[in-house]
Amino acid sequence: MKSKEEKVKIITEEFVDGEDAEEERQKKPSKFPRQKRKKQLPAASHEEMVSEKSPVDDQQKPVQEGSDTRLLGMTSRRGARSLPPIPSTSRTGFAEFSMRERMREKLQAARSKAESALLQEIPTPRPRRFRSPTRKESETEFGTELDREVQRTQQENDSQGYSRVKFHDSARKIKSKPPVPPGFPSAEEAYNFFTFNFDPEPEESEEKPKAKHRHGANQEEKEGEEEETPVQEGVSKIDEEEWLDGKDAEDLLLGLDHAAEDFVAVRPADYESVHVRLQKEKELLFVPSRRTVPTYKKLPENVQPRYLEDEGLYIGARPEVPRTNQNIMENRLLIQEPGRRWFGDDGRILALPNPIKPVPSRPPMLTQDQDIKAELETLYKKAVKYIHRSQHLIGSGDSPGNFQLDIDISGLIFTHHPCFSREHVLAAKLAQLYDQYLARCQRNKAKFLTDKLHALRNAVQMGLNPAKTPKTLETTPKTINEYKSEIRQTRKLRDAEQEKDRMLLKTIIKVWKEMKSLREFQRFTNTPLKLVLRKEKVDQKADEEAYEAEIQAEISELLEEDMEEYEQKMEAYRVTRQQWRAWKKAQRARKKKKKQEVEEHPADEEKEEPGPGEEPEKPVPPEPVDRAVIEQQVRERAAQSRRRPGEPMLVPELSLAGSVTPNDQCPRVEVLRREDVKRRSLFLKVTFNNKEVSRTESRPLGADFRVHFGQIFNLQIFNWPESLTLQVYETAGNSGTTLLAEVFLPIPETTVVSGRAPIEEVEFSSNQHVTLDHEGVGSGVPFSFEADGSNQLILMTSGKVSNSVAWAIGENGIPLIPPLSQQNIGFRSALKRADAISSIGTSGLTDMKKLAKWAAESKLDPNDPSNGPLMQLISVATSGESYIPDFFRLEQLQQEFNFVSDEELNRSKRFRLLLLRSQEVPEFRHYKQIPLYDREIMEKVFQDYEKRLRDRNVIETKDHLDTHRATVAKYLQEVRESVINRFLIAKHHFLLSDLIVEEEVPNISILGLSLFKLAEQKRPLRPRRKGRKKVTAQNLSDGDIKLLVNIVRAYDIPVRKPTASKFHQTSRSSRTYSEKHVASPTTHSPVHNADYPLGQVLVRPFVEVSFQRTICHTTTAEGPNPSWNEELELPFRAPNGDYSTTSLQSVKDDVFINIFDEVLYDVLEDDRERGSGIHTRIERHWLGCVKIPFSTIYFQAKIDGTFKISVPPVILGYSKERSMVTERGFDSVRSLSEGSYITLFITLEPQLAPGESVREKFDSQEDEKLLQATEKFQAECALRFPNRQCLTTVVDVSGKTVFVTRYLKPLNPPQELLNAHPSGPQATAELVARYVSLIPFLPDTVSFAGVCDLWSTSDQFLDLLAGDEEEHAVLLCNYFLSMGKKAWLVVGNAIPEGPTAYVLTREQSHYLIWNPCSGHFYGQFDTFCPLKSVGCLIGPDNIWFNIQQYDSPLRINFDVTKPKLWKSFFSRSLPYPGLSSVQPEELIYQRTDKVATAELQDRIEKILKEKIMDWRPRHLTRWNRYCTSTLRHLLPLLERNQDDVEDDHRAELLKQLGDYRFSGFPLHMPYSEVKPLIEAVYSTGVHNIDAPNVEFALAVYVHPYPKNVLSVWIYVASLIRNR
Amino acid sequence: MAEVHVIGQIMGATGFSESSLFCKWGIHTGAAWKLLSGVREGQTQVDTPQIGDMAYWSHPIDLHFATKGLQGWPRLHLQVWSQDSFGRCQLAGYGFCHVPSSPGTHQLDCPTWRPLGSWREQLARAFVGGGPQLLHGDAIYSGADRYRLHTTSGGTVHLELSLLLRHFDRYGVEC
Repeated sequence: MKSKEEKVKIITEEFVDGEDAEEERQKKPSKFPRQKRKKQLPAASHEEMVSEKSPVDDQQKPVQEGSDTRLLGMTSRRGARSLPPIPSTSRTGFAEFSMRERMREKLQAARSKAESALLQEIPTPRPRRFRSPTRKESETEFGTELDREVQRTQQENDSQGYSRVKFHDSARKIKSKPPVPPGFPSAEEAYNFFTFNFDPEPEESEEKPKAKHRHGANQEEKEGEEEETPVQEGVSKIDEEEWLDGKDAEDLLLGLDHAAEDFVAVRPADYESVHVRLQKEKELLFVPSRRTVPTYKKLPENVQPRYLEDEGLYIGARPEVPRTNQNIMENRLLIQEPGRRWFGDDGRILALPNPIKPVPSRPPMLTQDQDIKAELETLYKKAVKYIHRSQHLIGSGDSPGNFQLDIDISGLIFTHHPCFSREHVLAAKLAQLYDQYLARCQRNKAKFLTDKLHALRNAVQMGLNPAKTPKTLETTPKTINEYKSEIRQTRKLRDAEQEKDRMLLKTIIKVWKEMKSLREFQRFTNTPLKLVLRKEKVDQKADEEAYEAEIQAEISELLEEDMEEYEQKMEAYRVTRQQWRAWKKAQRARKKKKKQEVEEHPADEEKEEPGPGEEPEKPVPPEPVDRAVIEQQVRERAAQSRRRPGEPMLVPELSLAGSVTPNDQCPRVEVLRREDVKRRSLFLKVTFNNKEVSRTESRPLGADFRVHFGQIFNLQIFNWPESLTLQVYETAGNSGTTLLAEVFLPIPETTVVSGRAPIEEVEFSSNQHVTLDHEGVGSGVPFSFEADGSNQLILMTSGKVSNSVAWAIGENGIPLIPPLSQQNIGFRSALKRADAISSIGTSGLTDMKKLAKWAAESKLDPNDPSNGPLMQLISVATSGESYIPDFFRLEQLQQEFNFVSDEELNRSKRFRLLLLRSQEVPEFRHYKQIPLYDREIMEKVFQDYEKRLRDRNVIETKDHLDTHRATVAKYLQEVRESVINRFLIAKHHFLLSDLIVEEEVPNISILGLSLFKLAEQKRPLRPRRKGRKKVTAQNLSDGDIKLLVNIVRAYDIPVRKPTASKFHQTSRSSRTYSEKHVASPTTHSPVHNADYPLGQVLVRPFVEVSFQRTICHTTTAEGPNPSWNEELELPFRAPNGDYSTTSLQSVKDDVFINIFDEVLYDVLEDDRERGSGIHTRIERHWLGCVKIPFSTIYFQAKIDGTFKISVPPVILGYSKERSMVTERGFDSVRSLSEGSYITLFITLEPQLAPGESVREKFDSQEDEKLLQATEKFQAECALRFPNRQCLTTVVDVSGKTVFVTRYLKPLNPPQELLNAHPSGPQATAELVARYVSLIPFLPDTVSFAGVCDLWSTSDQFLDLLAGDEEEHAVLLCNYFLSMGKKAWLVVGNAIPEGPTAYVLTREQSHYLIWNPCSGHFYGQFDTFCPLKSVGCLIGPDNIWFNIQQYDSPLRINFDVTKPKLWKSFFSRSLPYPGLSSVQPEELIYQRTDKVATAELQDRIEKILKEKIMDWRPRHLTRWNRYCTSTLRHLLPLLERNQDDVEDDHRAELLKQLGDYRFSGFPLHMPYSEVKPLIEAVYSTGVHNIDAPNVEFALAVYVHPYPKNVLSVWIYVASLIRNR
Repeated sequence: MAEVHVIGQIMGATGFSESSLFCKWGIHTGAAWKLLSGVREGQTQVDTPQIGDMAYWSHPIDLHFATKGLQGWPRLHLQVWSQDSFGRCQLAGYGFCHVPSSPGTHQLDCPTWRPLGSWREQLARAFVGGGPQLLHGDAIYSGADRYRLHTTSGGTVHLELSLLLRHFDRYGVEC
């Protein structure tokens, strides 16, 4: 009904629209008739006439009505439009109206009639009346598709319309029963007319444009026709709608309960006899005949059928069609389309050849067995559990195939060996020469050339005597000339060859003679070599004749040549002579003329004179050829190079028949040599692609310097061999093997398979220098055969390996050769067969021109198939001028289309910068933006980076004072780089937790707790600490991060010594302020006095915190136990402004917390002014310092606790005598430990999230079971005590996981230390601890930023001389173990280090905890022990995890045997498997070089002095030499015994420096670099004194311990002279 | 010297019979191309669509190339995998498409296919999972006679790629 609604809409629109709508309306209904109009027009017009007349025709009326069902919509519309009773203005409108009226009348009439007519109408078979004509049409208009289409849609339409109309009709029929005034429809009827008839017209939208198009052109026309059209349309509907009424009536009958008799009349079935029907059908239908159509009908008139097949043209087989079908078709075609275009020349229907294949076939099935291309092969894989690590895409499968290379090493011959005696050298030479001789004999080139010469001569002879040859035409003078030149060349070659032969023979004989003389001289023979010269008699006469003939021939040839030359020269001479004559003549004429001229114009004489140089020389006629001279020359040459006639032919024969002198007859040196030879043995290593794959057995070297191996190696290989090398190793007696030489074997061609490969000899030589103390001549060492040592020879070890390399043949006879795709030498192998290589060398192969030249010169037979590839190559190369590249290019034409060259691309600074940034190269990692243009990038950006690359191998000694440290630093740098690179990749691996923050779903207990909290009482007086928010280091910039240091209090600060004041009182004015003016009105508070009952200020300490050269200090407090409680804020600045986690982790800065004593000095010069003014100077004296690395703060987030202040062993003027002060309650605690303490709280604001260490699973060599056990153990421990550290496996320097107990093993401390205190084991232990603590501390987190802890073994640690707590602890523990103590590694938390490792030892009755980094030790119950919690203990054979309730060392029991307190890793269920240690057997200590130490000492001192001067830019810095030397003496004493030196020290100093007020102290540090030393000196602030008369003293002492462990003492002091 | 930025995302996939899909992808370029920054290959998460049949990955791609020629314009190859309830993965389709060569944002649909295998393998795949996979992944985008391979169609992967080109006009390439 949708379309219906649409219609309604259209109608409303039409009301609004004017003429447009009207136009449209007309088009719509007109479309059906329009299509049929062609045929129906006559009928339509007729019916129009009828309707015009409006007769009450029975037949017509229902028709009219029917037609109206369709048209009513339109009429009603019109009606509606003209509903207002205004008579329409237009004529058409009126006419229309009146016509409608008429129609309506008719309708009424028809309706009344209908009822009566119904009975008659019903049985009328409706399809017949309606369809038959259309069918006929469709038959006739078979070809035109459109009509058929229309017809079909029409039918559809009708049926649709019918069903729809049905109901309305029936309703209307009933309603129309009441009588209505004729001519006027009732209101209801009118309504129905308006509504019920809007049939859907599905194709309307399609047809509309068409109709429009048609109508658009003749619109005007249409206007006129309008009157008619509707009628026409209406009439045209007759056929379609006629039956409708009948149907309606029927429906009416069925639907309503009228009396049947009113409507129904019984009638017989309307029968049409078959005959009649056939008759009718005959009229309507066309049945083509089945009979054969005669040919003439199918062809144009008077045309004979043509059979192309008979004419010899190929005509394909026609498709098989039954004859009858064909006939039917032909008949139909003939009737339907009179044209004969369907028929061919032969009168048959045109047909294409039969497209069907004669043989039925199937598309090829691809079976699995068929070979599929390798890359298309699929492999069925099981659904696999996804492994997260293999995240990279598309790994190509492993290529199958194993190939085999057979290497047959048969033996080795030395051509020179260090053990050769002189005789051997000669023998080798002889053998070599003999080999050469044999080779030459075999080739016999001289004979070949001689023959060639003869042949050529004959040819020339033939050419010269044309009478003898039949083909005169061919032997042109040109060819003769060519022959002659060839003769010349050949002769030269032959002469050279003959000369060489002769020379060789001579040399052989000479060497043999030398050898004989040598044997005689040394009176023994070493070699069985023996040369026999066999003389072959020749026929003297014939020989002489031949000789003479040869000479004659040569002479004649030479003569001829010379004659030719002479002729040419003569010719030239004649020409020149003529010229000369002409010139002479002219000259003479000119002279004559000149003479005349001179007579006339004597002045011009000189001008005219021609230069003497211009005068051409008189040509000299060439010398005529002198036969005698030539003959002499020829003869001389012949005598030199040729065998004299009649001279016997000498044939040398070398044999090994000689006897070697037995050992007992030889001199001692020779015997020694022979024994040496016997001791030597050789073996060969076979390396394939630079990997050793196998080696031969070691075979002794024979006396003849030959080694026979006779071994065949079958190499199963996977990839194409890149290189195949034999390494010759020699073992001499017990001393190790040495690599003599490497022999590179050529990879065999793929055609070379085993069994067919020839044995080849490959020469090798080594550049080894060997000197021997016996008869052997050595290698690379000059020696001589002469007695006087002249004529020296240097021979290198050399020899030949005879071997053969070939591809093996598999079981099925297929050579096991890798596919050619793996090779990259496809092109050359084809060439190798050609002889070209031997003549021009392999390099010539790439140069095509050279090759072509060679081919042309050597007159290569182009038709020889063996030369085929070469000739083709040459022709390609030379003809097209295109060169053949010796490479294969994947993307052809790439070069041609490149925008820029590679170099330019690489030169781009922007790209380089981008690449380096993305590779995270340290220098560029922090780059955020990169300029858009190259020109904006400075060249210097790369300078640092390039410098670093350059300097990678250069050891820089500038920053490091001794080379050892420099190399260590270098090594550390390398390790760091390689480790970092490895972890850089690992860092890009993410775990689920890295990416997804999943809040845990609160379970009932958490919910309950939080609920409980709500109900909790508010306790405002008990504040809770709120967790600070962690800041990820992304959006931070300079100044955002602050370091907060809260200094709470200090204990037990050294106090000024009263004795000092006594001394000072002697001086006049420089007394301490407080001493002198206790009672005077000062700024001090009265408390001051109360604090110091004795009237003395003990100490006025304040704290200064310096970090990154920013300094903050607290106010000054008083007394040895001051309380400051102040918060200091220091800015933090990250290197390069890079606040990323990795960068922060690598910050190496330390926080220095220095404690100073503030001393006020009165500087008033004049006592008289004392009443009116105060002049004091504040001096500060350094008392001690605490150093905390930033990395510790960063990782710990906060540091809270009491720390021991490192106080210098001696502070002049201060003491720690507590007896002076009786303090409140701490005595009991303090008495336990010595030293000063400070309580601190340090944190970062805002709190930074520390970077996590990489959780990478490392590969390990540990047993898989053990690893599983460790995981299980750790999981169990973590479950019970998540906060306690449990250490089972650690990562070693090479990045492998190692079980931790492997690090513990008794290792010997330096003997020196053990010897120092032979009696006191405790003292020794302390010394050892001190030694360990002297090894510089370098946290792993700094060296391996962002990388987990790496453990180095003790020897590595000692070599590196840097390590963190673990390394120190391991070393110390190992020392203690070797000293017989019971020692363990304690893993726990300490202050300030955080997670760390300490060493626990068991003394007789108690346990001691050692801090390996400081060397201090603490009792178990020491409250100041920095170790705060104990996680686990590690011994050499077990790990014990602390499962006690507490973890503080004060409260736990260290007895590991109790399983209730300590959970051990190895137990009965998992016994200790006896793991071998990773530590070395023994530590080897080198004594440190004393000289280097002294040098270092001087350099440090110099540097520090310079630094102090630098720090005082505005003041003069004076150095007190005397004091310095005194201090230098004191320092070694300090090193020797660290305690109880103070008094001596002071006394000594006072003795020396009585006149000075002195403040200073020694600093003690382990030595790693200079920088920390400088930092330490700076932090003491000694240089800050700016009194005008201040002097300084600085002394450095470096005490060497074994293995380059250095203890550095620096004594800095300032002196002010007392006046 | 010309530069190309490829920025975009692998939106997701539709039309696969399996749910729980993830995608491995990689970009293949010719020899003239140089990757300045970004990762060439990667893998998306596993997405199990709850509503509708499109698996959304929204996996970012961000690459910066420098090139000295037009040959070997970047191509994207994809492998769609499905993960079953046991956490096992099996191949659901191979796909391949060229990165567009005009600047601007492009919506790409990359149809996929997978090797069919023998009937045994099909049967095995239907019941126990797994399935034939290409031995050499590069057959996805190369190889002339792939016609021997019996494949069946997988679903479609939808991509959205934006391209920025730089300096191509300098070398006479208009875009």
